Amino acid sequence: MIQAILDAVSLGGVYALAALGLGLVFGVMRLVNFAHAELITVASYTLVMTHQFPLLVSIIFSVVVASLMALIMELVAYRRLRGSNPATMLIVSFGVSVLLQKVYELVFGALPRSASVATWMTGAFTVGGVSITTASVVTIVLAVVILLAMGYLVERTKLGLQLRAAASDFQTARLLGVRSNRLIASAFVISGALAAVVAFVNVVGNPQVDPRFGLDITILALVGIVVGGMNSLRGSALGGFIVGAVLSLLNVILGNGRVYAYSWMFVIVIVILLVRPGGILSKFATKERV
Amino acid sequence: MTLFEVKDLRAGYGKVDVLFGVSLTASKGELIGIVGPNGAGKSTLFGAIVGTVGMRGGSVFLDGEDISGKRPEDIVRLGLSLVPEGRQIFGGLSVIENLTLGLTGRRDKHGEKGALERVHDLFPVLTTHRDHQAGMLSGGQQQQLAIARALVADPRVLLLDEPSLGLSPTVVKDVFDRLIAIAESGTAVVIVEQRAHLVTRLAERTHVLRAGKMQATLTKEDAADEAKLAAAYFGNSGE
Ligand SMILES: Nc1ncnc2c1ncn2[C@@H]1O[C@H](COP(=O)(O)OP(=O)(O)OP(=O)(O)O)[C@@H](O)[C@H]1O
Ligand SMILES: [Mg+2]
Repeated sequence: MIQAILDAVSLGGVYALAALGLGLVFGVMRLVNFAHAELITVASYTLVMTHQFPLLVSIIFSVVVASLMALIMELVAYRRLRGSNPATMLIVSFGVSVLLQKVYELVFGALPRSASVATWMTGAFTVGGVSITTASVVTIVLAVVILLAMGYLVERTKLGLQLRAAASDFQTARLLGVRSNRLIASAFVISGALAAVVAFVNVVGNPQVDPRFGLDITILALVGIVVGGMNSLRGSALGGFIVGAVLSLLNVILGNGRVYAYSWMFVIVIVILLVRPGGILSKFATKERV
Repeated sequence: MTLFEVKDLRAGYGKVDVLFGVSLTASKGELIGIVGPNGAGKSTLFGAIVGTVGMRGGSVFLDGEDISGKRPEDIVRLGLSLVPEGRQIFGGLSVIENLTLGLTGRRDKHGEKGALERVHDLFPVLTTHRDHQAGMLSGGQQQQLAIARALVADPRVLLLDEPSLGLSPTVVKDVFDRLIAIAESGTAVVIVEQRAHLVTRLAERTHVLRAGKMQATLTKEDAADEAKLAAAYFGNSGE
């Protein structure tokens, strides 16, 4: 029971991080970056390929690689699409996603690459007679620390202020001197770094990295940002958390019926969206968009 | 000496041309007016000057430097700020956050504190509402915030697009008094107004923009002459 709750919170935390990465880029560009999946994938490959290094070095490598990849995506694919309609940008991001999957296949092969990363996390320990997995606790701590850091960045720093302003009205932000290229590049770099954190947790749980490794979580995180309200970062993170946590709980509750977990989750998602079409935090979001 | 000069500016959107060669000048400390009916191209003119609307010809000089074609975020750093039509404050952010964003466009970062103090002297109400959500301010307070947010960048030229929009007459007078003070401190101030009488009496020169062209230019003395003003504003065709 306690383990089920810890699992739900930790999966929710991971999805919140993925959703936050998507939400940051959406905020400044109105781009739903489907290729966020490939940022998670490349970070995962990096972890696997560098597993012989000390863990911290390996993690730093994966953060750098994913951030660089995000930066290149922005420069090469998305920069000239600025201000295009969201549908065009979404389609292009599908294209980038598929293209990168092919590149990964050529470089790493279609079959999964695996390596044991952070094996110490796969164990369990007992507290007061209850067995708890190390992975769930570490994941929760990691997610909380990073969410707090992101909260600080967005709410307390100059960069965060510019990100919030640009999300609500980019043109006016530029009139005041906000450098558009630099700001959008920063959003991509941060989203790449967040993707690397998500990759780390995922690789520990399932060290079988193939070219489509990041897809599932990205699709669910997209559902999350819609559920939470894509116009606010808080909404994105909250939505991601809800989707992850609900999915995890459904897997436990449904027992043998867990093949229907996705179906039930989407039933819940649809109900939420019927009640609040703009997402759970949409009320705050519309205020910000005035 | 001329600080700011627009020369034969052309601009438009897509297939439509809106401005057909517009020129104007402003010197340090001068207050210049631009009046004209809806759709004349007033906002387009300001947009082209600050780089949010593409120019199709002509040039813009700031202190002798050609700034045409530069990006908005670079133009503000050169000392030209716009208070856009409809104020465009960030309603979800606090007053101080809006002002802090305004500091982004400063050339020298040392004067930030002084700039905020100047705003405090000019618009004390913003200091009392420092941490309030900007969207909750009254219309007049929001207009003051929009002006203050542009001022903290220490512009040499300040453009204002319909600062009287949606404000009551007493509030309008208040806002214009501040604009006069800003001009007196040495900033060149260019004001677009649909309500011509608000600027004609204050401005050194008032240009009448109609159908994308400067149709007439009035001095303060001309403006006092009702007949002359009406003729310039509506054209001589007796519309
Ligand atoms: N973004 C745009 N895209 C296409 N056409 C535009 C755009 N903005 C303005 N226009 C057109 O350009 C012309 C001039 O508009 P502009 O906003 O400059 O007028 P204005 O003088 O500021 O009017 P108002 O007094 O109503 O503010 C109008 O015919 C308008 O329809
Ligand atoms: Mg206008």
